Amino acid sequence: MSHANAAQPLPQPSQVYLAQRPPGLKYMMGGCGIAGCISLDGRLIAGDRIRAMLTIMEERENGLGAGYACYGLFPSRKDQYCLQFFFDDEKAKERAEGMMRFNLDILHDEKVYHHPVADLRPPYPIIWRYFANVLPKSLKSEGPKKGEEDVVIDLVMQINLEVDGAMCISSGKDMAVFKGNGFSYQMADFYDIPRYKGTMWISHSRFPTNSPAWWAGAHPLSILDWGVCHNGEITSYGVNRKLVEMSGYKCTVLTDTEVVAYIWDLLVRKHGLPIQAAAFAMAPWTYDEISRLDPESRKLATWLRFTYREAFLNGPFSILVGRSQPEVTLIALADRKKLRPMIVGQSPDGGIAYCASEECAIRLVEPDAETWATNAGSPMIAKVGKGILRTGTEHPFQGVRL
Amino acid sequence: MSGIAKKMDTKLPERFKPVIDYQSCRTCKRCVNECSFQALDFRDNRVVPIGGCVACGRCLAVCPVSCIEIRTVPSQFPPHGNWTERMRRAIYAQANSGGVLLSSCGTDVEHPVIFDDLLLDAAQVTNPSIDPLREPVETVTLLGGRPGRLQVSEGEMLRMKGCGNPLVVMDMPLMIGHVSLGSVSYNTQKAFFMAAKELNIVAGSGEGGLHHDFYQYADHICAEVASGRFGVDPQYLKGMAAVEIKIGQGAKPGHGGHLPGEKVTPLISETRMIPVGTDALSPYPHHDIYSIEDLAQLISVLKESVEYSMPVGVKIAAVHNIAAIASGVVRAGADFITIDGFKGGTGSSMRVIRDHAGMPVEVAVAVVDKRLTEEGLRNRVTVCAGGGIRCSADMIKVLALGADVAMVSTAAMVAVGCRVCQQCHRGLCSWGIATQREDLVQRLDPEVGAARIVHLFNAWNEELREVLGAMGIDSVESLVGNRDRLRYQGPNPKIAEIMGVKHVGEGWG
Repeated sequence: MSHANAAQPLPQPSQVYLAQRPPGLKYMMGGCGIAGCISLDGRLIAGDRIRAMLTIMEERENGLGAGYACYGLFPSRKDQYCLQFFFDDEKAKERAEGMMRFNLDILHDEKVYHHPVADLRPPYPIIWRYFANVLPKSLKSEGPKKGEEDVVIDLVMQINLEVDGAMCISSGKDMAVFKGNGFSYQMADFYDIPRYKGTMWISHSRFPTNSPAWWAGAHPLSILDWGVCHNGEITSYGVNRKLVEMSGYKCTVLTDTEVVAYIWDLLVRKHGLPIQAAAFAMAPWTYDEISRLDPESRKLATWLRFTYREAFLNGPFSILVGRSQPEVTLIALADRKKLRPMIVGQSPDGGIAYCASEECAIRLVEPDAETWATNAGSPMIAKVGKGILRTGTEHPFQGVRL
Repeated sequence: MSGIAKKMDTKLPERFKPVIDYQSCRTCKRCVNECSFQALDFRDNRVVPIGGCVACGRCLAVCPVSCIEIRTVPSQFPPHGNWTERMRRAIYAQANSGGVLLSSCGTDVEHPVIFDDLLLDAAQVTNPSIDPLREPVETVTLLGGRPGRLQVSEGEMLRMKGCGNPLVVMDMPLMIGHVSLGSVSYNTQKAFFMAAKELNIVAGSGEGGLHHDFYQYADHICAEVASGRFGVDPQYLKGMAAVEIKIGQGAKPGHGGHLPGEKVTPLISETRMIPVGTDALSPYPHHDIYSIEDLAQLISVLKESVEYSMPVGVKIAAVHNIAAIASGVVRAGADFITIDGFKGGTGSSMRVIRDHAGMPVEVAVAVVDKRLTEEGLRNRVTVCAGGGIRCSADMIKVLALGADVAMVSTAAMVAVGCRVCQQCHRGLCSWGIATQREDLVQRLDPEVGAARIVHLFNAWNEELREVLGAMGIDSVESLVGNRDRLRYQGPNPKIAEIMGVKHVGEGWG
């Protein structure tokens, strides 16, 4: 074991959960390390780069969960939904597939590549990937008009809630999540992360304080193409959860991170807010600061706070958010007091942008990177092929170059 | 009949007795002059108690040598666990008068206090607590209808589309409840309004209209429209912070207001627009609201009347079906709802209703918040709640249970001098609060009263900031409805379950 603190290895939990939610689990929390990189010029980034970034921050994890999400991963199938699942057994897989077939046209399915790692104790879940299109008939519902995305969300939540031993870990287009219970290096080896190449990566290693060893509970947490890696503890979880439940989302993983993913989906995809506006709702300025804004910005700021009060993520956090639709996008955001670290960097040739909890993660793979810190509550936004649209140091409502 | 009535009267033992230390007494007679209940007299060169003391404590406060002590007279009734003294006194009183028993202030029955069974959470290790003296911890609270979603246009700068609903911005999640001019004195209301302006919060007008002197505070007043419509005219509605339709009051759900004719002085008469000396009885229901759709009409009529310039809300008493009623009220178009728990105060109420009807605000707020969330309505409305909030801890707990704003009246009255002697309905308040007698009204200096309320509310707000900081929350909206930060340690876990609060000992997971 290479873990720096583990002179005498601490006992690991005796029971490891795979897809099945641990009985009695109501909420999970913990501290963490996060790292991400995005290709600004469209080149592909191999998995060994993100593996190096994440594993160097070894003090930020304790072996109870790590994961990677890769975007721009399936260029030949980029218009199909890629659903990846953990199953505890074949029965759960069959049941989930039955439910999927009702709404989806499954074009291809395959085992997600993984192999045993010496110091990663079995059991491992069955890890399966499906490429599918939404069946036109499932868009017709008696209730409000549904889009393809709503069908996928509803299906995923239904399977997660109703099928014991099945948990969807990613469900977006042109992306996939690779995660599990272990150290970041173990997960990288388990899935052989270096074998993949994509245009964007986000990753996460966990130092949970009270949660069980649960494969499906590791980050990134994902809904549709949204992937969220989150370092922090949100003190407003009870409030945030109300907002997503009011909007029809079902909390199945029971972490604040899951709720963060749903809030991004609600505010940006469903409500159509620009990313900066959604970020402001989640990490708003104080009313004192707002009072010093110009009148139009003050009005927007006040109404964002008032309307999306339940979206305000209180407490310390830094998050990396990825999405593939309509284009592969990386968002890096820290809480409004910047109580958790977030550093951003760019390669000297300008081709790759990096985000991480610690500067060492960036320096390791890009020694001459230009790095900077984002402002509290101000998102860095980058898009593949378009560059850095926002450095995270601008006026909160400044528009982005499109 | 009157002769018989006289013979029928049962003389009851006194409950309180002022005891004077004659060694110290200077016989200045100030206590005798100040006792509006005429419980003291000056006979044979000394002050003597002559019965009728209500323990209002005025004599103690004015005695220059502190030589008076009010003793609670030990029970003179043969002890009985079931036939308590309170029960027997009520029977004698009704057998004497044949009437409905009146009382005032909130119920004095020792109902369980759920607030006291709730414990607050604090941050340790995994999330840092915040020192509000060193870092911002916000208590700014916005009151009004919420749109549910916002439309933003992109461009050089992001801009909000549309103009948004009218809003009230307050510096703390506190408002002074509705206490009408009539039930309390001019000076009391003035103190409330001055304090609200100073604190940048809102005070309720009560149902008695607004005295023309008080329009200078209009932007800090929530104008109440009750079933009696006292004092409601175009001026009354315009320029206010908000308008509230009063359907019910926690201390007397299902009842209207009752102001005895003796309290309807010329000042009250001109404000309420009713003749001097007539009883001001507001009807039990609004006679134009016999169903929810009628309420929807009144809400839109009021919104039209004020040209959508201020939020229009509805106050309902906490009754057993409160969750469904609140949902209907939101659907009827209310921008905010106020839930008044059964321990709320009153200037005059039937004891049977005050002591026995309604439900605690703690449970009412929790079930309303839960129901509105389930129905996807919670982000359309601001929820205010009051009725039994005694301290900052109660305020914090009611926010965590789901209220955006805590409404406080009795505590504000206590701050200006009220001793909660429950005699408001008699109009003899020795502190100049619940009275219209000019000599008594003069005893309350509005500026002093306002300063004391400002002190109290600022202190509570500071305590709120301290608790938020300890929880690792830096803005009060993240406490609202955040039941995860409460635990229940009372005798009845079923209540915790209904409120959606975990039991003490249960962690996050």
